[in-house]
Amino acid sequence: MSTTEQIASPPEQGKTVQAPSRFPRSYAIRAVVIIALLLFVVLALPSLLSLYYVDALTQVAVYSIVALGLGVLVGRLGLVSLGQAAVLAIGAWVAARLLFGTGLPYEVVLLASGIITMVLGTLVGLPALRMRGLYLALITLMLAGAITVVLASLNFPNGGHGFSGYNGALVHIPPIRRPGIATSDPAFFRYSVIVAAVMFVLVVAHLRTKPGRAWAAIRQSEPAALAAGVNTTLYKLWAFALVSFITGVAGGVLAGAVRYLYSIDFQTQDSITLLAVVLMGGAYSIWGAIVAALFLQLLPALLNSWGLSPDWLTILFGIGVLQVLTTAPRGVVEQMPKDLAKLGRLIARGFGRTTSKEVA
Amino acid sequence: MIQAYFDCVNANGGVNGHPLKLFVQLDQTQPAQITAAAHKLIQSDHVVAIDGVFDLLECTLDQAYWKQLGIFEMDAGIAPECWSTPNSAAVNMGPRYSSDGAVQYALNTVKAKKIVFDQSNVPGTGYIAGGPTALAKAAGVPIKTETDNVPINDANTVALRLVQDAGPDGSVVLNFTPPEALVILQAAQKLGLEDRVKSWGCSTPCNTDFLAKALGPKWNHKLFVNAELASPDDHNGPEMQQYEAILKKYGSSVAGGIGSFSQMGFLLGKFLTQALETVKGPYTMKSVNAAIEGIKDYKTELLCQPWTYGKVALHIPNNADYTTTPENGKMVTAQGCTEISNADPQIAQYRSAAKAAGINLG
Amino acid sequence: MHPLIHLALSLPTWQEEQPFLVTGLALGGVYALSGVGMIVLFRTTGVLNLSFGAVGAFGALISWQLINHNGMNQWLAYLACVLFGGVVTLAYGMVFGRVLAPRDPLVKTTATLGLTLILLGVMDLLWTSSGGASRSISLPTDNHGFLIGQVQVTTTDVIGLAFGIVITVATTVFLRYSKLGTAMRAMANDREITATLGVPVRRVEASAWFGCGIVAGIAGILLADMVALDATTLTFLVISSLAAALIARLSSVVVTFIAAIVIGVVDALVTPINGLTNYHDATPFVLAAIALLVLNRKRVISLSRQEF
Repeated sequence: MSTTEQIASPPEQGKTVQAPSRFPRSYAIRAVVIIALLLFVVLALPSLLSLYYVDALTQVAVYSIVALGLGVLVGRLGLVSLGQAAVLAIGAWVAARLLFGTGLPYEVVLLASGIITMVLGTLVGLPALRMRGLYLALITLMLAGAITVVLASLNFPNGGHGFSGYNGALVHIPPIRRPGIATSDPAFFRYSVIVAAVMFVLVVAHLRTKPGRAWAAIRQSEPAALAAGVNTTLYKLWAFALVSFITGVAGGVLAGAVRYLYSIDFQTQDSITLLAVVLMGGAYSIWGAIVAALFLQLLPALLNSWGLSPDWLTILFGIGVLQVLTTAPRGVVEQMPKDLAKLGRLIARGFGRTTSKEVA
Repeated sequence: MIQAYFDCVNANGGVNGHPLKLFVQLDQTQPAQITAAAHKLIQSDHVVAIDGVFDLLECTLDQAYWKQLGIFEMDAGIAPECWSTPNSAAVNMGPRYSSDGAVQYALNTVKAKKIVFDQSNVPGTGYIAGGPTALAKAAGVPIKTETDNVPINDANTVALRLVQDAGPDGSVVLNFTPPEALVILQAAQKLGLEDRVKSWGCSTPCNTDFLAKALGPKWNHKLFVNAELASPDDHNGPEMQQYEAILKKYGSSVAGGIGSFSQMGFLLGKFLTQALETVKGPYTMKSVNAAIEGIKDYKTELLCQPWTYGKVALHIPNNADYTTTPENGKMVTAQGCTEISNADPQIAQYRSAAKAAGINLG
Repeated sequence: MHPLIHLALSLPTWQEEQPFLVTGLALGGVYALSGVGMIVLFRTTGVLNLSFGAVGAFGALISWQLINHNGMNQWLAYLACVLFGGVVTLAYGMVFGRVLAPRDPLVKTTATLGLTLILLGVMDLLWTSSGGASRSISLPTDNHGFLIGQVQVTTTDVIGLAFGIVITVATTVFLRYSKLGTAMRAMANDREITATLGVPVRRVEASAWFGCGIVAGIAGILLADMVALDATTLTFLVISSLAAALIARLSSVVVTFIAAIVIGVVDALVTPINGLTNYHDATPFVLAAIALLVLNRKRVISLSRQEF
């Protein structure tokens, strides 16, 4: 047996990454649709919705970046991380510290939190590179546990002094600063959608070029990739760096979105829920990341307004994980169970994408 | 419990013919959810009053919003801003003043030579510890403040550490939610540590018969719990009888049943109804909130002193407490109403502000 | 003063540390219970059952319900918990365990997270913790015990530790010497070849799942007493317990047990050290991370399904 089985397989291994040159027209149509959609979301959506849903959708934007990162690891490289929520927490911590401690522009802070998180994430990834499969998943869970404890003891910055920037005795805690052009909730929503779009473009650019092809090769068979002259260590590390970077940026957006950060809101088990929704949304699909974020952040808001307990959501995520893993051994998007596939197709049609390839 | 009270009011014809509707927002203590919930209540549900917030962070997050809208919220909160801003008044004392009460009992009545104050590592620990520290300092007694991450996986170790830190002449005072406090106290019991310190203390959340029952007789007059509200077993007064009657008839789904939390809900429902009765003309956000701010000298045997909202920069309307202790599976009163000491600078500040505003402090 | 000097100066004396050694053993027993329970199933089916804690918590809450609201005899209620653990785990094993049997261990393990989330959601619905509601289970053995130094050790702690040892020894002996055990070990290595050799694979798997569920139920009751009767706490206690299993590289039951005890003791001994006390919760994770990184220094290229 020469290949390692993956948690979620791509629809057509190796073909999709070379697709751009083959379907130029469909890509042009797709690009137009995506830009139109983005313009609608940024320009029209905030005025159509109440602040309640604008706030919820800001969270969706943040978590779509996180889900995208985890999707790259799980779907493109077959590496399962159970520590992404902790990486997000690091990004948020760094951003909050910089926003309180410096007068740097928000965009610079985002970049800095992305880079610092990237350095930390890559350092963690370095030794973890020797592992894969179950061991990697479990060691990321252990590291997430350790990070959670450290952040809980350190606390999130609240405008205090010193390294931690936390002062437990503070009353009238100042909110975390937002960019000057996006102080109101609707404006910040637009801002986070644009940041998310930039992160998506960054990831897609990677997938369509050399790193993406290398990842696909590694995913299919690491020895074969090695034999073909792919520097597997470099490209795996590259993936960790990219994913940590975008998750760190997402943390920076999160800090400005919620404006108050508390360590009790970052639990080790959040990474488990995150993996659940990414699997449900579809780890291989770029759109899957958005679906995952909608599951994670919009559904609770909806349930709440219907007066239903969020516990139902936990149950739904559990069922989703089992369904995805048992009925779609070759991959989520390709063999989604019928009901989910219908939903996926509806969503896909809503987004105006060409679905023929995915449902074939 | 507020719902139960409103159901009762509505069954009896509402307030001036208006039925009361309660919009409940659940959150998972996540800041984003809490602010979103506040926006939803005002924008989509068009509520006119914010009554009965039981949340760890709400006061911190929504204060500016309420202030901007001119809303005077009533709550049973935890965050420091529930007691330190013009737009929030609580029926409860909150963790800081309740911990003050427990420490004060250990200092004045038990005559502890050292205080070890331990609390869960939640937002605002430094603010909470500020009260007990000031009290101990004023009494010239050393104090050690500690925090523990929750949930606690190794209560034995925590209990052992607390006892070693306090020593035989010291007192251990806990500020935790009931499950965590119980876990620590039970661990102390299992390890046989009850008598290794002079006394144990606990802030209000420990004031439940459930805890007394789970702990057993070894803790009789060994554990002293600060109680912000009259003991649920005190059936003598008219308000307690009304509370129990409503809980019995309308409150079948009240989580936890009889206890401090539902007592707070009862008071929050009651205060709002009373305020609404005084409103002449239509109920608007303005008229209702003016009435809430006007709540004055409400006397109830559930509280040690009359409750007034009033126009002050900070509100600590509940600042005198009872002390209870377990006795054969029930919490009984160990000490009647006692004022929280002015040694806590916040309390002193409130009292002088209240006096200046002409508020009756009882 | 330099923080390290400060740390050295404030180190507790041996006199002070002694009682923590005793509580550390008890904590190690807690980790061992779930760590060993999980590794047993992994050795036999290749599934790391992460729902171990949730199953035990659910069972313990059922016992609590039966005792406090239905007035049931407590031993019968505990039996109900153990049976619940066995039945739920067996049902999962028969339905999902079977479907996923040919898949990678990572997939099988991730799937148990699905069961974990379902159980956790149902528990939070049925036994809400809002409004300050709290529950507890107190075994009669809590009231008996003996003194070690200055610290009382309850019979429950002893039972917890003994139960861990019994499972460790029993599984080791069983896997090594019994026919069924040999079949299980073979099966965890390669299910298809084992089946062609005439081993009744399904029946062997069923007994492994049921056994793991029974252990989860017993551990649930003990942990509810020793830690707390709280759905979230007990469900995710497995994360800390996993550390021990990881140090044993998911292969040796005996090493898992020893690692769990070491983690518990280190955790407890760190607690009275002033500068570290807030970080003592990180002990399992830090020890596991260090052990894994040291043990996995060799570069591994995945060639077959047995590699991770």
